[in-house]
Amino acid sequence: MKRREFLKTTYKISALFGAGFVLGNLDDLLFAQETNYDLIAIKGGEPDVMFDIGIEALGGMKKFINKGQKVVIKPNIGWDTVPERAANTNPKLVARIIEHCYNAGAKEVYVLDHTCDEWQRCYKNSGIEKAAKDTKAKVVPANSESYYQEIEIPQGKVLKKTKEHEIILSSDIFINVPVLKNHGGTTLTIAMKNLMGNVWDRRYWHRNDLHQCIADFATYRKPTLNIVDAYRVMKTNGPRGVSTDDVTLMKSQLISTDIVAVDTAATKLFGLNPNDIRYINIAAEMKIGRKDIENLNIKRITV
Amino acid sequence: MNLKYLKKIRVIVSLLFFVVITIMIINPQKNFPQDIIIFFTSLQLVPSILKTFFYIGFSTLGLIFVLVISLLFGRVYCSSICPLGTFQDIIIYISRKIKKKKKYEYQKPNYLFHYSFTILLFSGVLLGFTSLLNIFEPYSIYSRTITNLVEPGFILINNIIASLLEKISIYNLFNIPLRNTNALIFFLSSFLLVVIVYLSYYHGRLFCNSFCPAGAILGLISRTSILKIAINTKTCTECGACEKVCKANCIDSETKKINYPACISCFNCLKVCPTDAVIYNKTKYLELKVNLSETPRRNFLKSAMMPVIGMLVTEINQLEKNQVEKSNYFKIKKLPISPPGSQSIKHFSNLCTACHLCVSACPTQVLYPTFFEYGLGGILQPSMNYTASYCNYDCTICCNICPTGAILPQNQENKKLIQIGKAEFYKYDCVVVAKEKECAACSEHCPTKAVYMVPYKGNLKIPELNNDICIGCGACEHACPTTPRKAIYIIPNAVHQKAKKPEIKKQEQIEIPEQFPF
Repeated sequence: MKRREFLKTTYKISALFGAGFVLGNLDDLLFAQETNYDLIAIKGGEPDVMFDIGIEALGGMKKFINKGQKVVIKPNIGWDTVPERAANTNPKLVARIIEHCYNAGAKEVYVLDHTCDEWQRCYKNSGIEKAAKDTKAKVVPANSESYYQEIEIPQGKVLKKTKEHEIILSSDIFINVPVLKNHGGTTLTIAMKNLMGNVWDRRYWHRNDLHQCIADFATYRKPTLNIVDAYRVMKTNGPRGVSTDDVTLMKSQLISTDIVAVDTAATKLFGLNPNDIRYINIAAEMKIGRKDIENLNIKRITV
Repeated sequence: MNLKYLKKIRVIVSLLFFVVITIMIINPQKNFPQDIIIFFTSLQLVPSILKTFFYIGFSTLGLIFVLVISLLFGRVYCSSICPLGTFQDIIIYISRKIKKKKKYEYQKPNYLFHYSFTILLFSGVLLGFTSLLNIFEPYSIYSRTITNLVEPGFILINNIIASLLEKISIYNLFNIPLRNTNALIFFLSSFLLVVIVYLSYYHGRLFCNSFCPAGAILGLISRTSILKIAINTKTCTECGACEKVCKANCIDSETKKINYPACISCFNCLKVCPTDAVIYNKTKYLELKVNLSETPRRNFLKSAMMPVIGMLVTEINQLEKNQVEKSNYFKIKKLPISPPGSQSIKHFSNLCTACHLCVSACPTQVLYPTFFEYGLGGILQPSMNYTASYCNYDCTICCNICPTGAILPQNQENKKLIQIGKAEFYKYDCVVVAKEKECAACSEHCPTKAVYMVPYKGNLKIPELNNDICIGCGACEHACPTTPRKAIYIIPNAVHQKAKKPEIKKQEQIEIPEQFPF
């Protein structure tokens, strides 16, 4: 709370003193005052429409992206399944995010995921390759170790180093776009778990306390935005699912800069207790983000 | 009539086949149209003969087409459709550019050897010993050479270019992981290539007329082909030009006779004859002076078919069932898992001529050439390598393109129920038991949820198996993070089984929250 109040005051003072000329346009600043939410929760619309409304409520993409920046969007494209199976992020949502990035002045937008199933089939059948190409984003392969470079994770307790995709390492803006779904190993996969697709060797995580590794990797880089697709939600048999019968239409979406808060809210939306998901607890303890979402400033929107 | 253009047509057609087949085999980005692959492979004689016994389809049409054109025009197959034939022609072309004075001489063909050798190859198939056919079948030699020796080169070049483009953030080309090469496979493929190059460089089409099973079969047919090469004794000046260019060594310019079984209808002789005395015409105008003392055709064909019929009745050997007391992982690894659609290890091993087309087409690269996994009788045949990858649930590429019917065509729904093996779980190696930490990588990857998680200690969950719905795709084994042994692995089904359909528990269709629960 203190931080937000401090920011509010700063904005007011800077506006008063006309510092708006330095920081940007005065209208934007005043607008920003009304959009200073920790989490946006939207329901009832199509994925792209919900994102339009959600990002607007958060102050628009311009608040996050400066002109000429290099943006990487990381949806979940892990499985060779069609969008109706909800194993991958909704392609309509991905396309709309890309459009917002370009409208905000992004120089180039890249889309990738280190898939589990054969990557070309995943990219194609998830519909994300087409969605990305139609909106002029570059689809980047992540199928070979040669694309990955070693990084150190200073705050990692178990995962101290790993190899991350070079395009993510060289990006200015990293947007995490997971899909909310059931997961056999970690109960749920949401935003933090989605970051497993950034790295090459996932077996190391599985071997050495998966939950701790998920939290450890979340300390490495805070995504600029976490956009949780809960339009279609796989309730069981996750993360791959067996058929469309595993899927429920929830028509919801969560947006936040706080990866722990968004995971906590999504867990509740799914109908589970966040205390039962160990990586969320670890991440909250490691102060990666906030689990006490009841104390956060949440904007709830029904379309 | 001027028939000199025939050679030109032959060269163009052969190059077309050669180039398309080569690109089709290399297929580095795995996106070559399946229908074109099926079309071109269906015209390959020996694979189509094998396949026709088990599956009536495109390959049957291809086989009929090849037989018909051979009856009409002689062995045109050997100098236009066969990629190994064209490859040899290219070597021969080079040899004649290098040694300008090179000339071929008539050689009395050794039918006895060629036919008995061919019978030996097919008898091998009858007895479940396919290795000899694997080594001498021309299409398989070519395809295997490309897959094992040329494709890696292309991939390397692709990867170099891709990594250069990557530096400037262009990702249109992508890095293709190289298969690990088995030294023996590499050695044998290279050795055969060297032999073929040597034989064609110094002896023309000697391979085709001494070892090649397709050459033997088509040679028999071409004895009675309607159109044949012949020498017009009236206009012939006995210059011997035709004999000098005959790479099949089948023209005897002294007696003005041609050994039809050896003639591959390359039309080089037509091209060089200064007086147009070499003609290509209907048989009835010619004096047939061919000695047909060898094995009667009917007997030969019968013996060629017998092995394949034999395969139908061959008993299938059950693999010894392993008692699981300790992890059998390494023991199991020595047994091959044959790809879905191959019905049984026996069927696969009997019919696979190791052309490795499936290996190069497999999008996940789970199909790996092996050397001895199928035993001495099935060298070079590919098996499922779950260390490398796992079989894609929805993919049927190998089934559809296999030229020999070792893997039979399947539709997607059928393929999803073919159980090529069963999972086996050795819990003491599992992360959940050994480290008491969550993992579930196996269950995560399982497309049918034959591997599912059940409560273990506290919040921990441990994998459990429902092998009724397991298809043996190897996703669990591939994903399992334990080293050096996997805690979950696939035991091959010697005879493939039909898996049950995964049970379906329907979820609520719509669950849009009325209020956010936070």
